[in-house]
Amino acid sequence: MFAVTTLIAVSFSIGSFSIEEAERPFLYSVLLWIILTFSALSGLARSFVKEEEAGTIDVLKLSARPQAVFLGKLFFNLTLLGALELIIVPSFVLLMSYQISFPGFFVAMIITGGLGLGAGTTIIAAMIARASTRGALFSALSLPLLLPLMITCIKGCERAAIGISSAGWPEVRIAVAYFAIMITMSLLLFPLVWEE
Amino acid sequence: MIYKVLLTTWMATMIVAAFLYAEPATGFPGETSRILFFHVPQAWIATLAFLISMIASAIYLAKRQVKADYLAQSGAELGFLFCVLATITGSIFAKATWGSFWNWDPRQTSIVILLMIYGAYFAVRSAVSDPDRRRVFAAAYSILAFVTVPFLVFVVPRITTSLHPENTMNPAQPGMDPKTLKVFLGSLLAYTGLFLWMLRLKIRILTIEGLKKPSVL
Repeated sequence: MFAVTTLIAVSFSIGSFSIEEAERPFLYSVLLWIILTFSALSGLARSFVKEEEAGTIDVLKLSARPQAVFLGKLFFNLTLLGALELIIVPSFVLLMSYQISFPGFFVAMIITGGLGLGAGTTIIAAMIARASTRGALFSALSLPLLLPLMITCIKGCERAAIGISSAGWPEVRIAVAYFAIMITMSLLLFPLVWEE
Repeated sequence: MIYKVLLTTWMATMIVAAFLYAEPATGFPGETSRILFFHVPQAWIATLAFLISMIASAIYLAKRQVKADYLAQSGAELGFLFCVLATITGSIFAKATWGSFWNWDPRQTSIVILLMIYGAYFAVRSAVSDPDRRRVFAAAYSILAFVTVPFLVFVVPRITTSLHPENTMNPAQPGMDPKTLKVFLGSLLAYTGLFLWMLRLKIRILTIEGLKKPSVL
């Protein structure tokens, strides 16, 4: 809901022709990632708080291994993000008439960026579920960790839109590396955070 | 006591030497290259402090010794302080050579993100009230934060071009003036000494505070 509202607000206020032709690939890429990141943050923050509020967290601790819980939450978050991207990205492209020269590269960037986004935030969500000020803390902790990924994704989408030749898709590879590192570290750290 | 006197003398000598003994490097306007003796050691100390903090966090997670947590916290705080200093001196240098205090050069971008990450680390510390849980979360976040640093240091400057002087001032590179090198290494030593002294003080403060408060708080 947050995502759709933001998208409509952005589209309504900017329209598809008010930005100069030359500026579009870059600014649209920035807007797209701002919408994606913040709508993702508003949804993903809930993943562990839900368990805490429902009181199911203790049963979960007893009945499942921490890695299993983490991977389950991660897949849930990634599915959520996938659904979000499936709605937001095509509507954004259509509403803003976003010209993309390399659709393959663009789609790969969106997918790998989404993976990184999910991997980076899941363990933070587990932490903030046990803290006193949840909502604000989640963004405060997630955003610094996500910034390198966001910069990469914005660059990647910009290049896909302009059509600068991109041998080997460096941004996609960076996003995949980010995803892999975050998953590895989270799997190592999650049991400690979870047991606490 | 003797340590403090030695450190003060050494630090003062290095400051004098930085301005009077060493000669300005070629390729930089006026006297700006003297920043090397202050900015680079600060950045080095910040890196060292964050590294210490990360290792101490890992030790805390493995062994659950409160001392390791004190070290992690002190390292992060001092690293933050030196990181701010490096940002400020770097920004002054940027004004003198590139013409503006801030232009989102990749180096500046990455240092800002670094500051934000450690700002968030302090946010974890203040948001969790249970001390054991706070320590575990802070340690976990510190490790998580540290693994994103390579992205900032290697990846972000790689995809965009940087104005930051790299090879001209790298001491590993041949061609650095021997006088400059001497003062630079001396200054590095002075800053490291200062850092170790501050680290010890900070740990003592935390230990005393830990003794004062009942541990159930």
